[in-house]
Amino acid sequence: MAVKFFGQYLVENNLVSRDALLQAIELQDQKNLKLGEMALSLGYLSQADIERAHNAQMSKDMKLGDLLVEMGIMTSEQLNDVITHQKNTHLYIGEALVQVGALTPDQLQQHLAAFKLDQALYVTDKIELPAAIANSTIWEMTADLTYKMITRVLDLQFRPGKCELISAPRTAFMMAAMDFSGDVEARYVISVSENLQKQVAKAILREETVDNEPVEVLEDTVMEFVNVVCGNVAAKASQMGKAMEINPPLTIKQSDPGLAVPPGYTGLLFPIHIDDGDTMELKLFIKN
Amino acid sequence: MKKVLVVDDSLSVARQLEKIISESGDFTCAGHAKNGAEAIKMNHTEDPDIICMDMNMPGMDGLTALRSLVVLDKDVKVVMVTSLGGVGDKFTEALKLGAKNVISKPFDSDTVLQILRQL
Repeated sequence: MAVKFFGQYLVENNLVSRDALLQAIELQDQKNLKLGEMALSLGYLSQADIERAHNAQMSKDMKLGDLLVEMGIMTSEQLNDVITHQKNTHLYIGEALVQVGALTPDQLQQHLAAFKLDQALYVTDKIELPAAIANSTIWEMTADLTYKMITRVLDLQFRPGKCELISAPRTAFMMAAMDFSGDVEARYVISVSENLQKQVAKAILREETVDNEPVEVLEDTVMEFVNVVCGNVAAKASQMGKAMEINPPLTIKQSDPGLAVPPGYTGLLFPIHIDDGDTMELKLFIKN
Repeated sequence: MKKVLVVDDSLSVARQLEKIISESGDFTCAGHAKNGAEAIKMNHTEDPDIICMDMNMPGMDGLTALRSLVVLDKDVKVVMVTSLGGVGDKFTEALKLGAKNVISKPFDSDTVLQILRQL
């Protein structure tokens, strides 16, 4: 029911053992050379060059490959060659499981097909952003996964509204937020009305009524929904080659500074029109 | 009946897991800890067979608690519960530290019980 990587799917469904997966990952660690190791094996640089670049990396926010080119240790053509070699020789987890004897090639094909079917629910549809925004594919995927989770987790029917730029978001009955850090930085915010908060709580707690639940439980259910979406966004982003860390969810009150789009950030609003006439809002404050 | 300790700072997730466990017929809930430090204490006082533990919690997080639990109690089986299960590195790190499996959020009762029954 969530975004998964293949190894997790196999262990969860008891198709390979936890120990076999760990063995296969160990094999991957041995066989899949890191960028510096591959460049070294191709004779493009020396161990001393790698150490020099690693030291420089401590004061510069750059990927090793780009830094090696900037420092004049490798040419761009050599860097591309290293990356191509890495791709061509990469040992995937499924192949590694075959090599350690946990799966036969036939079983691998069969499980891969079933896995693709399981994950097809999380394939991203195209969503249009209103402006040129860095890493736009990540934010389109974020909005799309939010829509999918509203259907799958909250069981609500809705129509997504047109995405627009915002500078000062409207206030709402309750807002829950989560901050992303890592390769991309942003704040993810969901705002709900009192009625929608109850609908979220019913779905998360799997209860018929939540009228007697304390405020902290109702708020916690919206934060948990945000946590579930953002964790799945991070998983999907890692499949797209971007490392995203999530931080604990929080609620934003009307008077909090977290309500406004901070300087140096772009604010995006995705209105979500729920079938009963209510509107939920997804807001993204993306670091420029 | 096997005893399961639920460890999560989120009241709503703890409620979901407690409901699944208590309605299963073959597991019983040994209590609810709100962070890793409480989990270590309750593992000692309640002696659960299985611990279902969130990865991201304020105070002592799940992976830090997992490191201590597998040293302090060789018999207890820990399953991590996280929305980050689909991040390959996080999943692998949990298994390497000694977790028996990882339950991804959102979860359904069938998946949770299938994983607990495998232990």
